[in-house]
This record gives sequence, structure tokens and C-alpha cells, in this order.
Amino acid sequence: MSATSTACPAFGELADYWTSDITPADAEQIETHIFDCDRCARMLAEADRLRAGIGALARAGNIQAFVTDAVLNRLARDGVRVRYYALGPGESVRCAVWSDDDVLVTRLRGNFAGVESVDAEMRLESGEEWAHTTDIPVPEGATELVMALPAAIVRTAPKIPMRLTLRASDPARSEQTLAEYVFDHQGSIERSPNSNDRG
Amino acid sequence: MACTVSVVTSSGTTLSACDDGVVARAVAAAHADEAAAAETELYRRFAPRVRMFGLKHLSDRAAADDLAQQVMLVVITRLRMGEVREPDQIGSFVLGTSRMMVVGMKRGQRRRAAIFARFDADDEAIDPANDLALDGRRIAPCLAGLRERERTILLLTYYADKSAPEIAAAIGATAGAVRVGRHRALASMRECIEARRAS
Repeated sequence: MSATSTACPAFGELADYWTSDITPADAEQIETHIFDCDRCARMLAEADRLRAGIGALARAGNIQAFVTDAVLNRLARDGVRVRYYALGPGESVRCAVWSDDDVLVTRLRGNFAGVESVDAEMRLESGEEWAHTTDIPVPEGATELVMALPAAIVRTAPKIPMRLTLRASDPARSEQTLAEYVFDHQGSIERSPNSNDRG
Repeated sequence: MACTVSVVTSSGTTLSACDDGVVARAVAAAHADEAAAAETELYRRFAPRVRMFGLKHLSDRAAADDLAQQVMLVVITRLRMGEVREPDQIGSFVLGTSRMMVVGMKRGQRRRAAIFARFDADDEAIDPANDLALDGRRIAPCLAGLRERERTILLLTYYADKSAPEIAAAIGATAGAVRVGRHRALASMRECIEARRAS
């Protein structure tokens, strides 16, 4: 409820306040503005809730994304229980989630030379699609992609082999399969009360 | 009804429609027993802004809450004592007070950190679950609806605390493209959350 002399920034620009990218001068400019503009103060609070919500989701193991080691390191620091698998192209793995797992991470190895992004689809044995995602970024020289899935979602997956296919996002190359991996899903496993094994 | 100090002090009901300066002058002019409504309104408007400022500079939600209370106490006291020369610029005054007080609090944080280090104390536990987790559940479907690249950028920005150049190196993009992707992702998230709230 106050007049303000400077124009209101866009939501994304305001949200930069909560990143390590913002310069001290830009942060000061936003601060000066929001102490004079109720609308932008509310938007900045909204951006804070958004970033806090993303953090809360990750800490709860509710991450379904292709991530980097920086995210895995942060999960480890936050005490999130992660189970790892690694697969090369054409390989198959018998996999399961334990009752106390939070996140399942698979390192998908492959030759991604000349590819900037890939699309992924996971299909059941019957050919029915279980999940798919597009535009997974591939840095130059990458030899693996890191896929994170919430253990809670994996627990609901059928106990059958599932095939993950990666294709280049570039429409000119999208017919070409870059790699396939088979997850022979064994379901959810209860840990024995006497076991200390993390599997 | 015009929003003047005399109206405000005789009827608190008009306060929410008044400019910040009018509310500040109402705090300054009112007798202690009449001031409650004006002070409450001033607190309602500015405490969240001071809290966000504190969160940015102190990186601690509890410390940010303390800062908001201390700053608003000082601001209201100085208004009452007639020590705020330009009540119409109350936003600048609150921001200036926040900047001064955060310096003192940072000094305190450093002293506490030194004491902890001396006694080899562990970091405090993570904040207990609060309403942010609720926000996390609310935003999960919207985060899942993003393109993979945008989801990765948001996780690296707000969970792994990485800068745009660091993210650019990790996903094979330019820092500018990361910023644009982040802004686009935030706009999509905001739209999605609004749509879900409305439905």
C-alpha cells in the first residue's frame, strides 16, 4: 500500500534475490524496492516459499529428476538415504528398494558424444509406458547421466522387468536409440530387524 | 473516506487502505492506548520484509524472526518518540534499521561460531518440519511437470545452492541460458501453483 518510484521487477528477477548469483548492488536495489512496495514484498515471499518447498521436497527424498553430483552430495549431507545402481548400455540389473530407502539413484553410462540433450522413456515388458521425460541436459564429454527416483514411487512399480530407452532430443536424431537399460524390478524388500546392512 | 492521521487514530478500520507513511504518522501521533491498531498494521506490513532481509543476510530463519521483532520494536519506539524525521519514507527507515541491526547480529553469529569451534560443538539439528514441508507437497506436481532441464536447474539453484556459472558447467549450457531457464521454470511453477489453488 505504498507508491514506489522504481518499476516492479519480474517474478524471476525478484527470485534471483534468493540465489548466489545476485550481486550485492542488485540485492540492495531489490531490498530498497521491496521496503517500498507491498506487492513485490509479497512476490519475494512467494519466491522464498517456492525455494523452501523445493528444498523440503528434496530432503524428503521426493526427487524425480536427472541430477548432478552436487545434488547427491547435498542429499548425503541432509541424511537422505540413497541406494545406488550403475548400468552400461544394454545391461540389465536386478534391483529393489529397501524399506528404509528414500531415493534410488542410477548412473546410466553411455556414449553421449555430440548430444546436447536426451529424452528418456521407461516401458513395462508389455510395451506400456510407465514414465517418460524430455530435454535431459547432457554436458560435453559426459559419460553418464544420473537419474534419481523417489523410493516411494519405485515401491509402487510392478515387479517385472522395465526397459529404459534414451534418445537424442534433437528431432533430426530422435529415431536413433542412444542406449537401453533393463531394470529387473524385484519390488520392495523389508530389512531384517537384526540386519545393519545397507545393501 | 480520506486516509489521514486523524481518521486513522479515531478509526483503525481504514488502516489497511492507507499508505505506509500515513500508518507511520498514525503510530507517531496516536496516544499509547490508540496506537495499537496503527502499530499492528505497521508490523503486519514490514515484519515480513525485515524477515526476508534477515533470511538473506543471516541465512537462518530463527535469526531472521529475531531480527524482524527487534527492528520493528526499534522502529515503533522511535516513531513514538518523534525521532523519525520523514514518516512518509518509513520504508527506507525500516530498511536502514534492518541493515544496522543485521551487522550486529552477524557479529554475534561469528562470536557464537568461534565459541562452538573452540568447544568442538556440532552444528544444531535441522529445523523441525514446519509449514514449508506443506509447501513442498503442494509444489511437487508442478515441479514434476517441468521440462527435465528446468527441474535440474531449480534443484541445483535452490537445493544444492549452486550459482548460474556452476550450473552451466554441470549441464553444458551458458550461465545466461541457466538464468533464462530458471526464470522460465519459476514462471511455470508459479502459474501451475496458482492454477491448482484455483481449481
